[in-house]
Amino acid sequence: MREVDNLADEPLTGEKRVFMTGNEVVAWAALAAQADIMYGYPITPQNEVMHYWTRLAPKYNKGFLQTEDELSAGFTTIGGVMAGKKAFTATAGPGNILMQEPVAMAEAMRLPVVVVIMQRGGPSTGTVIYSQQEVMLTAFGGNGEGLRVVYSTATHQELFDYTIKAFNTAWRYRFPTFVLADGYQGKMREPLTIYNPVERGLELVPPEPYVGRPGTPGVDRPPGHFRNTYNVEEELNEVLRGHIADWERVAEEIAEHEALGTEDAKLVVVAHGVVARAAKEAVQELRAEGLPVGYFRPITLRPLPSAALLAVARQAEKLLVVESAYGQFGRLLREALYGLTVEMVPLYKPGVGVTPEEVVARCREIV
Amino acid sequence: MNQVYVYAKGQTIDGYARLHYYSWQILRQFFGVTTISQRVVEAYVGEYASGKSECAVNRAVELACQGRQVTLVDLDIVEPCYTLRPIQDELRAAGVDVIAWETRRTMGLGEAGTLLKPQARWALHRSGDVIFDVGYGVAGARTLNLVEGAAQDPDLVVLAVINASRPMTASVEDIVEHVRSLGRVDGLINNTHLAEETTPEVVQEGARLVAAAARILGLPVVATTALAEVAAVIGPRDAMGHPVRPIKRYMPRAFW
Repeated sequence: MREVDNLADEPLTGEKRVFMTGNEVVAWAALAAQADIMYGYPITPQNEVMHYWTRLAPKYNKGFLQTEDELSAGFTTIGGVMAGKKAFTATAGPGNILMQEPVAMAEAMRLPVVVVIMQRGGPSTGTVIYSQQEVMLTAFGGNGEGLRVVYSTATHQELFDYTIKAFNTAWRYRFPTFVLADGYQGKMREPLTIYNPVERGLELVPPEPYVGRPGTPGVDRPPGHFRNTYNVEEELNEVLRGHIADWERVAEEIAEHEALGTEDAKLVVVAHGVVARAAKEAVQELRAEGLPVGYFRPITLRPLPSAALLAVARQAEKLLVVESAYGQFGRLLREALYGLTVEMVPLYKPGVGVTPEEVVARCREIV
Repeated sequence: MNQVYVYAKGQTIDGYARLHYYSWQILRQFFGVTTISQRVVEAYVGEYASGKSECAVNRAVELACQGRQVTLVDLDIVEPCYTLRPIQDELRAAGVDVIAWETRRTMGLGEAGTLLKPQARWALHRSGDVIFDVGYGVAGARTLNLVEGAAQDPDLVVLAVINASRPMTASVEDIVEHVRSLGRVDGLINNTHLAEETTPEVVQEGARLVAAAARILGLPVVATTALAEVAAVIGPRDAMGHPVRPIKRYMPRAFW
């Protein structure tokens, strides 16, 4: 059990089956992704991301800065990124609201900030525990077009895999990237395999500085105009059209989903995040009985895997949309499915968890 | 009904020679000597997610099943009422007296400050056995100081729960460093597991690591815990001679 070693530059060697909480997984994954620094402000239920990062950071020569609030945590993350550091932050609920201003700036300037969200109940202080109510906020919370990537994880293994992936996606495409989990995922514990991605042959996209680069601007290299302010509408519009064209070009490449039995399903259960676990289990149980039920889960909420979703929706008669919110995820789906006649049946439970039994029961009523 | 297990097999000379370090309580624990007239007073401390609550809950139920009067105290003041919340009724039905917040009687916990339930402060004044489920880390362990009489209680044993499948306590050095950070600790529990993926080998490897750490710390390993089906394979003692306590998982129903 000594594979997880204390060597300064190789925090993870070998692969190891371990038992952790989700928050802890994020800290280890950031380490595995060779993140340089975390900026953060405490808020439940993500506190242990910080706690574990601050325990690991001194051992591996990593940085941490506790700021005075989430606005500052977001803007310092931007500073870290502009200096060429793989920087990240983590927050939840009201902290996610404050985080939207810096993330919108990162969106404007195409800065690869990585933000981990552990959703809690809302509105406002709500509960510190759990919800899926930060979907719209995380996908579209800025005063812009929502040009950011949002991965919605369901298991601890995914929290590890997608936190590593988030750094790669952010630095490869230069869009702010979120890992969207929730308080249940943050706090619950389950086994997973932690590994060194480089040893697995995964390329880690290297960071590079935006400012302070060698050479004379305008002579040796183009000047670095990193702007979030424009004088006139047309100037802004031109920049945005460029960003949107980039977004549309890579959206299908970034989009990910998981599906089960959708080929022959009359009813498809659609869910994301931790709720998708209940949906999947329910569908497996119903299919074992021979019922024509399928399962579809967008892993990316932004960009949504629209092509795959459309194919499923064209084939199915009904979609059962399950989420721990009052139709936020449903709204994303409706937009993607506009024009189709497939019926969307809601199972919305704002702020509370969903069990496989509930999904099974609802499916039996419908089929 | 006096239960006296005289201990003979499986113990090494090395372990025997260390006995003078132990308080009488630990001796009692270590030798598996239990009499119904003696109080069992145990506090479970340790790292976040090390299995403190699971060990405490199982211990309380085990004692209640022996017909003993048991009080289980949720002493987590950072995340009170979350941990034992969904299983309080089940524990009461099993004969365990539970001192823990009920959600509806509290407000703003975890955000608005921390609060110790008055009954928890005076729990050591109760008759019968008292099991404390203490909050995590060094700050959690300090919570024990808020319990009236904790420093003087002759029966109190503070047990650090270790899961060597957790990367923060996966090596002998890390376990030693962690236990030293906790303040008073009288014994260790090897709770090494991988949830439903736990095999006897996982538990035994943990037993070796925890035993090695215990030797450095000069502390006894009071027990190895394992899911009932895994415990059945291992037998009454693990590879290092520690008594094996079969446990049932209550905590997966407690989301946090």
